Amino acid sequence: MSILSFFEWCESTAIGQAIRSSLWLFPVIESVHLLALALIGGAILLVDLRLLGLGLRRQPAAELARDAQRWLTGGLAVMIVTGLLLFSSEALKCYYNQAFWIKMSALGPAIVFAFTVRRKVAAAEEGTIRPVWRKMTAAVSIGLWLVVAASGRWIGFSG
Amino acid sequence: MLDLRLVGLALRRTPFSQVMGQLGPWMAGGFAVMVASGLLLFYAIPVRTYLNIFFRIKVGMLALAGLNAWVFQRSVYRHVAAWDLDARPPRRARVAGWVSLGLWACIVVAGRMIAYNWFDVDPELL
Repeated sequence: MSILSFFEWCESTAIGQAIRSSLWLFPVIESVHLLALALIGGAILLVDLRLLGLGLRRQPAAELARDAQRWLTGGLAVMIVTGLLLFSSEALKCYYNQAFWIKMSALGPAIVFAFTVRRKVAAAEEGTIRPVWRKMTAAVSIGLWLVVAASGRWIGFSG
Repeated sequence: MLDLRLVGLALRRTPFSQVMGQLGPWMAGGFAVMVASGLLLFYAIPVRTYLNIFFRIKVGMLALAGLNAWVFQRSVYRHVAAWDLDARPPRRARVAGWVSLGLWACIVVAGRMIAYNWFDVDPELL
């Protein structure tokens, strides 16, 4: 099955059709998507700022990362579920939308990076990882999520 | 994150005054950027925006959120030393946190809804 026909199938599902034909469903799901965005934005920035030596400087990064982890995971889960619902209502539009593909190309690496490199770096004891690497990790994380957010917003402007 | 700390759900081992003091400037900076860019967006289509019910709700909620923060600063935050280390701050502080979380959630949703014109005020009625 080609990607295009898979997208066509997504749009033809009952869920996709229901969201598309409803006046309220799309905005409501989109609002939940945005609320979860606010949550993971805070959870990510809290730790990334700390890795950069900013924000809550008196707390160890490992402790902040532990505290933030469940908000990040929970928020991300809500974002993915609502994102899939939104996608199913306009999969074909997304297929021809450049911003959608930019978003997906950044989203994969952003999630993988958050749960591998960044998680290890943030959990490491103070002093075991050189500050320059901690800062690099935070910069990559912020950069990737910024691309995801900005191109996500752009899906609504183009196409 | 500040509100989540205030209601006792996150950063429970971090003194509240530190969260407030060290994240405060970032919140103020972010808020300034949002106000500036928000004013520009409003300036682009002021009449349509003013007639939009969600815009009115959003501005009202922003005022309430400001009022809530002001009351909090002038009341329970004055005695922060007494509960700074509490994983679960006193009731009045938690109420302020929940009110803030609720209002900001409404602000996000109302802001998104400004794009829809379901309940616009009829200009004829002005």
